[in-house]
Amino acid sequence: MIVQTALLIGLVLFSVLAIVLRDLLRAAIALAVASVLLGIIFFRMGAPYAGVFEISVVAGLITVLFILTIALTNKAEEVRESRNLGWVFVLFFLAFIIIDVLVMRGLLQKIPALPSVAEDGTFRDVLWKGRTMDLVGQIAVILAGVFAVLALFRKRDNHD
Amino acid sequence: MIILFVALPLVVAGILPLVGRVSRRVVPDLAANATLLFLFVYAIAVGRPLIADGPALQHLSWLGEAVNLRLALDGFSLLMLVAVSLVGLAAGLFSVDYMERYGAKANFYALLLVMTAGMNGLVLSTDLFGVYLFLEVAAIASYALVAFGLKHDELEAAFKYLMLSVVASAFILVGIAVLFGMTGSLGFAEVAAGLRELGAGSVVGFAAALFILGFGLKAALIPFHAWLPDAHPSAPAPISAILSGLLIKVSGVYALTRIFFNVFGLTPALSAVLMILGTVSVVVAAFLALGQRDIKRMLAYSSISQVGYVILGIGIGTPLGIAGGLFHLFNHALAKALLFLNSGSIQQATGTRNLDEMGGLAKRMPFTAATTLIGSLSIAGVPPLNGFWSKLIIIIALIQAGHPVLAVIAVLASVLTLWYYLVIQRKAFFGQLNEKWAAVREAPFWMTASTVLLGLLCIVVGILFSLAVKSWILPAADVLADGVHSVIQPWGF
Repeated sequence: MIVQTALLIGLVLFSVLAIVLRDLLRAAIALAVASVLLGIIFFRMGAPYAGVFEISVVAGLITVLFILTIALTNKAEEVRESRNLGWVFVLFFLAFIIIDVLVMRGLLQKIPALPSVAEDGTFRDVLWKGRTMDLVGQIAVILAGVFAVLALFRKRDNHD
Repeated sequence: MIILFVALPLVVAGILPLVGRVSRRVVPDLAANATLLFLFVYAIAVGRPLIADGPALQHLSWLGEAVNLRLALDGFSLLMLVAVSLVGLAAGLFSVDYMERYGAKANFYALLLVMTAGMNGLVLSTDLFGVYLFLEVAAIASYALVAFGLKHDELEAAFKYLMLSVVASAFILVGIAVLFGMTGSLGFAEVAAGLRELGAGSVVGFAAALFILGFGLKAALIPFHAWLPDAHPSAPAPISAILSGLLIKVSGVYALTRIFFNVFGLTPALSAVLMILGTVSVVVAAFLALGQRDIKRMLAYSSISQVGYVILGIGIGTPLGIAGGLFHLFNHALAKALLFLNSGSIQQATGTRNLDEMGGLAKRMPFTAATTLIGSLSIAGVPPLNGFWSKLIIIIALIQAGHPVLAVIAVLASVLTLWYYLVIQRKAFFGQLNEKWAAVREAPFWMTASTVLLGLLCIVVGILFSLAVKSWILPAADVLADGVHSVIQPWGF
């Protein structure tokens, strides 16, 4: 329980850091750490596949992409942000925590204990048999993304 | 084969950029429009027999083993499919001439088809996650299409649209997560059954609030409308037509009403929230539209106002109100697509969207002027056009349900609507021909053909409204009026 609480607090802390840090590189690393912590929580709660994907894709692949992008773009221009943003974020964060606590207290008593399903060996079944339609959707998302990149990075034609 | 509605546009979209290398114009035009035409004919011809005895479920097998592709077609989804393929076809035909100057036509059609596949997938989906997934498919394609011109204001509008859309998606995803956490399943039927067993009103309330924020942003209802007046005018005209005519209705109104009516079951509180949101949108957006000088911005505000009517009608919750709301959804899709396409014709001919600079264009562009008049009068609710009947049904339903004040507001807002549409007519088409436009000519063939098609449909649906309501609208309204019963048993796979 203590380890779990520590992990959750760490997750929130590093997520907040990812937002408030001004240095993009540090923010990206904070996000990666947050996602590693989330992956560990997934493992501990008996969802190894979610954990593997969280750590390999979100903490690994996406962080690499972020760092590559940051390295490739020049930071000549300093983006100026309003000072008020910091306060707005803190206010929103507190409001969210309060709403979260209130809602969860109400919800927790009513949530039925769902039977925990063993995940071993069912991963393929879930993906290929249970959620086949999602694969079609995934293909569509990838197609949309590819065409969007092709359209937005095409050579500008001489349209007025 | 319901899956065709999703798979066919995706397959054609995948092939198009390859074909585009060989033929830059003719083949992409042909392939995309043939696909959209096929989907429209298929929906009209096959749809109704398919759902004659209850909703049709997709069954597929691959190498003798059943594939678990869950899709379902009922009256409500069929109405949306018909609207999507019809307006998609009109926009596709319009693009044949209009998109010439943008270049990269194959790429444009590919995105258009992916967006169509996304909307069709959302409409046919049987579970909450499917709704989210296909919502994103349509949204990602639409971001790129809004920015397709690659000029500064187009990119800015697309970025604003993207940011607010992501917020909407986040709310929707949290709402889905709450329901999944409570019921342990994602299917509409299972969640509906699970919620009834639990009897957890507070959870439904919490999830409903999240969905109203999320889908309200997608539908651009009034406190959540900030992105629409930028995004819709910036897109190329055929895309504005699809965004205003279809996308806000499929990813906003359809998803919201499907979940509220068929999964939660409409409670008096939800009904009141919908009616208030609808009324506020109707009135505020009508006033905002009055102040616009940019024709496309005026049309965009008008879309918010008309979606308000749809939500108001559906929110009443009586069979008549739902039928009126859905009929208005269909009519507005036709008329608003027509008007946005015509605004594209005007912009291409004159190079401006500013109403103050136009004038007397009716002499030079007779077809555009005539069809714009039909579309305007239809949305404003002038008999015998289609928009009159749907507004009339909504107002009768409001009075029947004991909301005379809202009925009066709906009528008065309709007068406002007529006012700002007459402003468009007077400033753009009537009066003295501005000397600048002496050389302006009528839009090319396919652009005119697609708007004439939509204009004729507005008249035909208006004259044959009882047939249209009986055969297409009432089956859709029945699905919503039956509430949770229309999914729990029939969709239980």
